Amino acid sequence: MGGQPMQVYEVFRREREGGAMQHAGNLLAPDIELACHYAREFYGRRQESVRLWIVPRVAIRDLDDPDLLQPPFDRSFKKPAGYSTEIKAKLAKARARAGQEGESR
Amino acid sequence: MTKGESAAPVNQFDPETRAALTELLLQMADDEFVIGYWDSEWTGIAPILEEDVAFASLAQDEIGHAQALYRLLAELEGGDPDAIAFGRPPEGYRHARLLDHPRTDWAFSVARRFLYDTADAARLDALAASAYAPLAGVVAKMRREETYHLLHMHAWLDRLATGGEEARARLVAAMERLWPDALCVLDGIEGDDLLVAAGVLAEPLADVRRRWLAGLAPELSRLGLPAPPAAVAAGACRGPSRGDDFRWLWEQFTMVRRSDPEAVW
Repeated sequence: MGGQPMQVYEVFRREREGGAMQHAGNLLAPDIELACHYAREFYGRRQESVRLWIVPRVAIRDLDDPDLLQPPFDRSFKKPAGYSTEIKAKLAKARARAGQEGESR
Repeated sequence: MTKGESAAPVNQFDPETRAALTELLLQMADDEFVIGYWDSEWTGIAPILEEDVAFASLAQDEIGHAQALYRLLAELEGGDPDAIAFGRPPEGYRHARLLDHPRTDWAFSVARRFLYDTADAARLDALAASAYAPLAGVVAKMRREETYHLLHMHAWLDRLATGGEEARARLVAAMERLWPDALCVLDGIEGDDLLVAAGVLAEPLADVRRRWLAGLAPELSRLGLPAPPAAVAAGACRGPSRGDDFRWLWEQFTMVRRSDPEAVW
C-alpha cells in the first residue's frame, strides 16, 4: 500500500460482559479505521469478543527499568502473600508457646 | 437457520406470486454464491495479510447467505439445498451479469463488491419487513453482517479514489467497465409487482434501483467517480448464456461434487 506507512496496533478484547479487557494480539494497518476492521476480523469474527480496544503501539509507554520494577531489598511485606506467610508463621509460634505455657501451669 | 423460521405456510401464494418469489430467491442466492466464490480467490494474494483475512471472511459470509437462501428455496419448492447450489449446469444459474467478470485486479474486485454490496443492501431494505416470514428472518441476519461489509467497502472505495494516481486510475477504469452490468443486479423480475401486492417486497425492483442510485450519488460525486449510465447495456441481465470466465468458475466450484454427487459429508 503506497501512501500511508503501516502501523502496528495492539488489540485488547473482552470475552464476556463484566470480564476484564485482555491483550489479544496485534496487527498492521495503514490507519485506525482499517485497524478496527482488521481487529474485528482477527479477534471478533467468531463471536469470541463483546468489546475490542484498538490502540496504536506508539501510544503505549514501555516501562521495563529494573530499578523501578525489581527493587533489590526484600519487599515481601508489601505482598499480601508474603504478609500472610509471615503472620501464619508467627501465629504457629505463638500457638506453640501458648501450648507449652498451658502444660507448665 | 433454526426450525422456527420455516414455520410460515409455503402455500400462501398463488402460482404466479410464488413463481416470482422463487425467482427472486434464486437470483439473490446465486448472486451471493457467485460473488462469494470470486472474492474468495483473493485468499493469500490480497494487498496485505490483514486484508487477505478480511476479504476472504467477507466472501465466506456471502457463501453463508447463499446457503440460507438455498434452504429457503428448498423449503418452498422442495429439493436439496446442496443440489440447488451445485447441481445445475452453468446455464441454470441466475446471478447478475456483474458477477460474470473474473476477479481481475484489486481495484476491480473492490469496485465490483462496492457496487454489488450497495445494490444488495437496497434490495435487503425492501425485504426487511417481508410478509414472507422465513425470508424476513434470513434478511434480518444478512443485514446485520452486511453492516460490516458496507463499512469495509466504503473504506476501500475512499482509499483507492484518494490514494494516488495509479489506484485512482484503476478504480475509475473498473467502475466505468462495471457500471452497465451493475445496473443488472436490480433489473426487474417478472411478477415483482405481485410480490409487492403480497407484501413480500416493499417496492418494485425498479424503485429499489432508483433508491440505490440516489443513495450513492453524493459519495460518487464527492470522490469524483463515474456516475451510472442512463440504462442497462443491451443483453440478458441474468443468463442463460455465460462467458468462459463464469464457466471456469463453475468448473472450480462444482468440481468436488461432480466427482461424486452421491457422497455423504
